[in-house]
Amino acid sequence: MMRLPWTMLLVGFLLPGPLSAEPKLDQFFAQNCVKCHGPEKQNGEVRLDKPIGALFADEELMETIASVLEAGEMPPEEAPQPKAEAVAEIMQLLQKQLLAQRPVNPLKRLTRAEYTNTMRDLFGVNFDFIGLLPPDHVEHGFDKFGEAQLMSPHQLMAYLKTARFVAERLLPDVKPETRKWEFDARHFHGSKNFATGGGGDYRDGDDYVLTGFRPYRSNLHFSIDPESHNQFVVPAFGVYRLEVKAHSEKSDEGEIIGINLGDGRHPTSFRTIRRIPMPHGSKGFTTELTLNAGDQLAFTFDSARVPGRSLVKKPHKGPSMRFSHMKLTGPLTEQWPTAAMKAMLPKPNMKPTELVDHIALLLTQRLLAAEDRKAFVEIARSQEKSGASMTAIARSVLIALLTSPHFIYKAESPELTSVERAHRLSYFLWNSAPDAGLLNAAKSGALAKDPSAQVERMLKDARSGRFINDFTRQWLQLDKVDDFGPDVRVFKNVRRMTVDSMGREGRELFRHMLEKGLSMEHFIDSDFVMANDRLARFYGLPAVEGDAFVPVKLPNKSERGGLVAQAGFLKLTSTDFATSPIHRGSWILKNLYNERIEPPADVLINEPDIRGATTVREAILKHQQLESCSRCHSKIDPLGFALEYYDPVGRKRREYRHVEEFPVEREGTTFTKKLKFTKVPIDAAMKLPGGREVRDLPTLKAALMADKERILKGIIGKLISYAHGREVTRADRPHVDAVFESIAQKDFSLRAAIHAIVAHPAFGQK
Amino acid sequence: MKRRTFLKGAGVALLLPRMESLGQVSEADSPRRLLTIVNHLSFYQPELIPQTNGAFKKAPPLLDELSDHFDHLKIFSGMDNPAVQNGFGHTPCVGILSGYFNKLHRKNRLSIDQAVADLVGGGTRFKSLVFQAGENLNFSQIAWDKHGLPVKQIDSPRKIFNLLFQVNENEKTQQQVLAEDRSILDAVLAQAKSMEKRLNATDRAKMNEYLTSVREVEQTVKRRAYWADRSKPQVDYELKDFDRKSVDDYVGTLLDLAVLALETDSTRAVTVQIPFWEGFKEPELSGNYHDLSHHGQKPEKIKKLLMLEHAILKRINTSLSTMKKRTVGNSSLFDQTTTLLTASMGSANSHNFDDLPALVLDGRMKTAGHWQKKDVPMSNLYLGLLQLFGAERDRFGESTGAVEVLS
Repeated sequence: MMRLPWTMLLVGFLLPGPLSAEPKLDQFFAQNCVKCHGPEKQNGEVRLDKPIGALFADEELMETIASVLEAGEMPPEEAPQPKAEAVAEIMQLLQKQLLAQRPVNPLKRLTRAEYTNTMRDLFGVNFDFIGLLPPDHVEHGFDKFGEAQLMSPHQLMAYLKTARFVAERLLPDVKPETRKWEFDARHFHGSKNFATGGGGDYRDGDDYVLTGFRPYRSNLHFSIDPESHNQFVVPAFGVYRLEVKAHSEKSDEGEIIGINLGDGRHPTSFRTIRRIPMPHGSKGFTTELTLNAGDQLAFTFDSARVPGRSLVKKPHKGPSMRFSHMKLTGPLTEQWPTAAMKAMLPKPNMKPTELVDHIALLLTQRLLAAEDRKAFVEIARSQEKSGASMTAIARSVLIALLTSPHFIYKAESPELTSVERAHRLSYFLWNSAPDAGLLNAAKSGALAKDPSAQVERMLKDARSGRFINDFTRQWLQLDKVDDFGPDVRVFKNVRRMTVDSMGREGRELFRHMLEKGLSMEHFIDSDFVMANDRLARFYGLPAVEGDAFVPVKLPNKSERGGLVAQAGFLKLTSTDFATSPIHRGSWILKNLYNERIEPPADVLINEPDIRGATTVREAILKHQQLESCSRCHSKIDPLGFALEYYDPVGRKRREYRHVEEFPVEREGTTFTKKLKFTKVPIDAAMKLPGGREVRDLPTLKAALMADKERILKGIIGKLISYAHGREVTRADRPHVDAVFESIAQKDFSLRAAIHAIVAHPAFGQK
Repeated sequence: MKRRTFLKGAGVALLLPRMESLGQVSEADSPRRLLTIVNHLSFYQPELIPQTNGAFKKAPPLLDELSDHFDHLKIFSGMDNPAVQNGFGHTPCVGILSGYFNKLHRKNRLSIDQAVADLVGGGTRFKSLVFQAGENLNFSQIAWDKHGLPVKQIDSPRKIFNLLFQVNENEKTQQQVLAEDRSILDAVLAQAKSMEKRLNATDRAKMNEYLTSVREVEQTVKRRAYWADRSKPQVDYELKDFDRKSVDDYVGTLLDLAVLALETDSTRAVTVQIPFWEGFKEPELSGNYHDLSHHGQKPEKIKKLLMLEHAILKRINTSLSTMKKRTVGNSSLFDQTTTLLTASMGSANSHNFDDLPALVLDGRMKTAGHWQKKDVPMSNLYLGLLQLFGAERDRFGESTGAVEVLS
């Protein structure tokens, strides 16, 4: 068990207290709260019989107190209730105090995505730092939160290595030689002999044919010459052009090819780097990729079926992909010296000081402070003395600067300077460093006065796609859609690429709404969905052609529309066998209402014993009877249960199918697991804390729509916390409210919300 | 069941020299080593923990897998990490070796394996080696340095093997690069110090993490520069590419590598985690290890779970026996090594982070057997271990005293 943070409480005594408010708050807590949160009982490990100053020092606690009072959750229904005016007065006092405490916003470092994009925009090179820079953690909220970003020796070593990797590739000593390779069926090798229900991969005349998708396995790789099995290895870093002749067979729709790196025969190093949609009738594709020396290329047939586990060979009936030829050209250099070299060394002979200043400014658009500069100049000087070339000197300086706090931290002043403001905006909407246009607008003061022209320009720029991806991935946890199953034995018709499309739907909805300036109400409910060919078929909608998402009008009877009706959300909140109403309900509270909910610290979760015949509902409802659980679960459970008519992959169902698994039986060479299904009726109806009943998806959406203001403010809060890189608290209410008021006159347009967030004075503060 | 040949051939051809230039005194022939093994999903305790305290009479079936080493084994049950709370899924497992978990910040406190590494790791090529519990499993970060910062963990057998035994082809340029690294670290340290002065208190704390990290990396670079020119140990061990198949393949390889790292004196503190997310494939078994451990008291699931747990303990037993056979200097590797086997959960089924089992194996063990230590902090055991390694301290993490390990 965690102990109460006494030290934190002690700190509170030292802080200046909200003196005038003190007696009133004291009295209110004593009358209404201390019975259960005082010396006798400490429900939820909360005690309110403390000096007010001490309570205010615990920001998180104050947030919770204000929230439960405002929502009328405390005191609990059965306890005597304070007068409404008394609560209102206390709320005012609390809010005033909370507003006075501006939340801290600790120093932030570049995330891996920010680092990657910054390099790309500064130097035009599309580096991939997976394997070099550690992934960023999303504990809660976003990976942009300075609070959650940790520096460690491991992280620093990674920065140093990455800096060297970048510098050696941006500033090479000699021009890389461009070469050409051609591969035909004789060079192609696939995994012929895996166990499959459908044939496997094979060579057929001048083609090599892929028939199945087996994660990490069924793939096409290339040998260096026809006789050899030695795989082709990329010789040098650079941009390569791939021209591939391939076409699908026995397919009446678009198919998808995956391009992968690593030796596909050994799953540990295998990684998909690009998906190529092949529209129906396509004869091949051409694409450019940035590859590293040592990379090995392979193709997979991503939209194919995953072969069964049967060892019996059966002729393959489904679609197949025929590869006949690949041409590879690279590394491509469009000019020499490259743009990056010219940017870093604009003149042939630069003095050490000049060089350091120039590269520092180039990297961060900020000058190094004079006292910070010495050590870097020293590096350039000693290199110069030892007779190193200008390129070599620039390389060392670049490595040092890329490892330094000057580059990896986004320092912000209490009132942002013009350049800092440009940085905040560009890392918000482009996930990258500002360009010249934005910097000029910032320096001229235009950005602080009226940012709308810049925001509009930035949203129209293709780079805003990074904001859409990065924000929705973290907000909606779209990368977790395929974390579990689905168990192919239970959900027989759910194909991999359909699941993949589910993971893209939320992002595509956001993109469409942002582009068209549509109302944020569409997050709650809408009369259309964004769908591609596979998703439209999965939802039973009129056919859509191709892999790209388009808006599809919903038939009148359809329950779809809105985030909570998306298969991706319904799936990511389920396990491979079963739905989880608690997970679904808490997802809605956290991500739509932007509420903080966490498992209570003082409750031992009882050992689950699911041998008995209790239904999920009975088991879960026990939570609501326990006092410490009920505050959150009375909100969570009804929201989640209303969705029980949707199964773990997001399809409508009429009843539960309980799955029982029996031991493996060997039948010849075939492994079959016996599954037994039992049907159990669904009981989804439940009352929300306010008394409103929700019983299915339509009534749930109606209830959410009735809470429109809270939900839209919740989503605005998410956007603000992403932009500011910290949790949004009640101190941000004026910001959130102002954005809401402003878009209320503009049909709640998502685009207008972005404008309003940036235009508010709070955007210019640390 | 098919057995892999363990440590084929004679094993080690070259023992690494000590890095004596750093001022470490060599303890001649009896260095002390620590092997830490953590199984996050725990073991099914009704079949692990003896009914009675004291010497082993009739050992429960799981524990019986280690019967070859009963003379040197002490098992503690019912221990607790008072500063690790329940909830938050599997994440509190990051606190198993430090006895601490803080949900808001990814910083932790010194973990026992690193505390020991600080004492014994000064002269070896690596201060410590820590293996991750499977690939990309970030919440399996269990090794924390004295600043509470995460220690790099390695996530694949191939990477571990290469790190230990592969000769770097660019060795010639290596020294040049390391020298440049050092001047770069000097420069960024100077810049960070100067920048720190202009920051407010919260930001200064962040910058402090950076400064600490630079200083630690400087030490690592120094160590690398020392070892770059020296030969790597050669071992006659063939690392097989396997497809995450059986416990024997996966756990076996990890333990083999751990033993090799200790035997070659590449390091004196190795931490191994039993992989649990990717799952094991056994011929007669269906179901994922993680899923089976959350068995809901279903007998058929417990049966399958026990199959895996038996296989894991059997493999640990084999490695301990191997350590007895290997001689380094004048004594066996087992005699030089203290082995700690523990779990971050009491039971994965109830998802509780207390009621923990801890097994200690040591050649110097005076009294073997089972001791129930109801609600005694793990940190007490860690403090006892630290004192065995010669630490002069009377507190570790949440400790309230020291557990007598040997007597």
